[in-house]
Amino acid sequence: MKLLDLPIASAARIAALDVDATLARRLRAVGVFEDEAIVVLRRGAFGGPVHVRTSSGGEFALDRRIAMAIEVHPALDVTAEAAE
Amino acid sequence: MSAARETRAASVDVALLGRPNAGKSSLYNAVTGGNAKVGNFPGVTVDVLEAAAPLPGGGQARFFDLPGVYSLGDDVDPESDEGQARACIERIESQGEFVVAQVVDATQLVLGLRLTSELLAKRWPVLVLVTQRDVLEKSGARLDAEMLERELGVRVLAVSARDPDVRERVLAAAADLVARGLPRAEPHTLEPRDLAARATRRTSLPPLRDVTARADAVLLHPVAGPLIFLAIMTALFSAVFLIADPASNALDAILSRLSAAIFGAFGVHLWTSLLCDGVLGGAGTVLAFLPQIVVLTLALEIIDASGYLARGAFLVDRALRLAGLGGKSFVPLLTAHACAVPAITATRIVRDPKQRLRTLLVIPLMTCSARIPTYGLLIAAFFRHRSALFQAAIFVGLYCAGILAGFFASLVIGKTMERRGPRALPLVLEMPAYRLPQVRVVLRMGARACMRFLREVGTVIVLASVALWMLMKIPTPGAPHDPQHSIAASIGHGLEPVTKPLGFDWRMNVGLIGSFGARELMVSTLGVTYGVEKDASKATDEVVAPLAERIGQDPAYDTATGLALMAFFVLACQCMSTVAALRRETKGWRVPAFVLAYTYAAAYVAALVVHQVAHAFT
Repeated sequence: MKLLDLPIASAARIAALDVDATLARRLRAVGVFEDEAIVVLRRGAFGGPVHVRTSSGGEFALDRRIAMAIEVHPALDVTAEAAE
Repeated sequence: MSAARETRAASVDVALLGRPNAGKSSLYNAVTGGNAKVGNFPGVTVDVLEAAAPLPGGGQARFFDLPGVYSLGDDVDPESDEGQARACIERIESQGEFVVAQVVDATQLVLGLRLTSELLAKRWPVLVLVTQRDVLEKSGARLDAEMLERELGVRVLAVSARDPDVRERVLAAAADLVARGLPRAEPHTLEPRDLAARATRRTSLPPLRDVTARADAVLLHPVAGPLIFLAIMTALFSAVFLIADPASNALDAILSRLSAAIFGAFGVHLWTSLLCDGVLGGAGTVLAFLPQIVVLTLALEIIDASGYLARGAFLVDRALRLAGLGGKSFVPLLTAHACAVPAITATRIVRDPKQRLRTLLVIPLMTCSARIPTYGLLIAAFFRHRSALFQAAIFVGLYCAGILAGFFASLVIGKTMERRGPRALPLVLEMPAYRLPQVRVVLRMGARACMRFLREVGTVIVLASVALWMLMKIPTPGAPHDPQHSIAASIGHGLEPVTKPLGFDWRMNVGLIGSFGARELMVSTLGVTYGVEKDASKATDEVVAPLAERIGQDPAYDTATGLALMAFFVLACQCMSTVAALRRETKGWRVPAFVLAYTYAAAYVAALVVHQVAHAFT
């Protein structure tokens, strides 16, 4: 499932970053990397960016195109931790 | 340790490095008492600040406040903030004894430790300063700094910039490293997530929703969010007018009375005219706008330091994308409402080169504080019988006009830009936690803006006013001694064929020439022109009416002239500092030349259209 399709406030784990190598390195450096628990806080209106929080305590606004390219696995084990 | 080594180590460079918003600048301020600008937005620390502090036991440490860095491995544009920070580190490394002090946000320990492992791999002398300890403790957790120190093999301090003893502790740690001969870090693999989990002890249950989450629920609400954003921006720009206008008027009245008193006491002489019409009438008139510039600077600083700037970027990203800009362009564009020069430097946070160029090209259209004096004067001159709210609405309208012009210009420029090259980089923006701006830091920023403005008024504007006063006094050879025939007036008259369709006469032309280098000079130039002109027939004891009143009552002008002038000032890039900054930033004349050409062309056409249309309706 894609990060963009993840319902708001439900948690998942990042499985893969299906973006080009440069952008993937950037995302990992900033704090969006594989195996992180992630929760979508909100989506910007009219196709605006997606606001996410990760289990490392980072919050990010990601372009919709990026959210469409991030593969996530819904993960029940992280719900409480990431949504906190 | 050899004697030579000891002498060299007596002075050590400490580079504060860390992720954006980790708290580097606050810590830098606390340790050095220096003047770092504290920004709560990824990458606002653009200039590298430097300050020395004495080490306990002798010697001193030079602290460097570097721009935020997410990683040392990721490839970045050397022009960007991160690229700049890396270049600085390389320079510091090559210069001699140094320590890399990594500033880690305790609430984002995992992310900080990822960078730590990169620093260890470099075998640099590393000191880890875990900051925001107070925030972590408030959220019900405690950091085990000793454990972290054992695992990393480098010195770790848990601090908060608000601690009274933070300066002593950081300096003591630096002195200790120097005493031990600056031991280099040993690279080793560490599992940041696991290490962070072991180093953070929960002392109580975490709050279900923290302040940031609760604030964002309102401030980023799909309906309320944009409305609040618009309300904040409108309030900001009308506050600049409503709060500061009475203060400006009071200052203006004092200057008028002072002028009248001088003329009354000493009569109309060459030197009283120089003092009253040249210096007071010119530079003094601009001085009256100091309150507005201070209010604006303080407000923008609070928005920045609180963390709302990133929320603004989130909210406007979609709209700016329509014009080929993006959320990250929002920061320089908002900064440009204070001054274009720092805004041009702030474009370094825009990672996409095309987006960055577009942002640079439209920055001069944003309403910078240098336009405020002219807007204030024109509103007071042509709309003085309207209510304060009506006047404030015009003021806000002028800000909107600048923003719309920028939006439109970016669209048009985008259409003509070459389509080759890589696709636009999508937005990746960190949303920092909300923080209470530190009053001291905000006030210091206000004081700095104040000083910059006063220095400019005291030097450039006084000189320009005096020079113009002379040009107004010296007649063209062979002409009668009368301001109408002065050198300045002849130039103004000479331009009338070009500016007549816009409704500008020779005096406005003199003002426009005077303000070519800096917009603020428009007001001082008009002040001098009117002062000298009036001089010829002045009754000495009469209180001179404020400049705005004299312009408003001048039969040569009507509302259409005022509106045309406003349109001209919205668009024209009358600022040599901006041109110089564009040249510096783009390393060439192409961009600044293009900006001058297109803004002046647009300004002329807009003023022409506004004047003709306004005339048709009045």
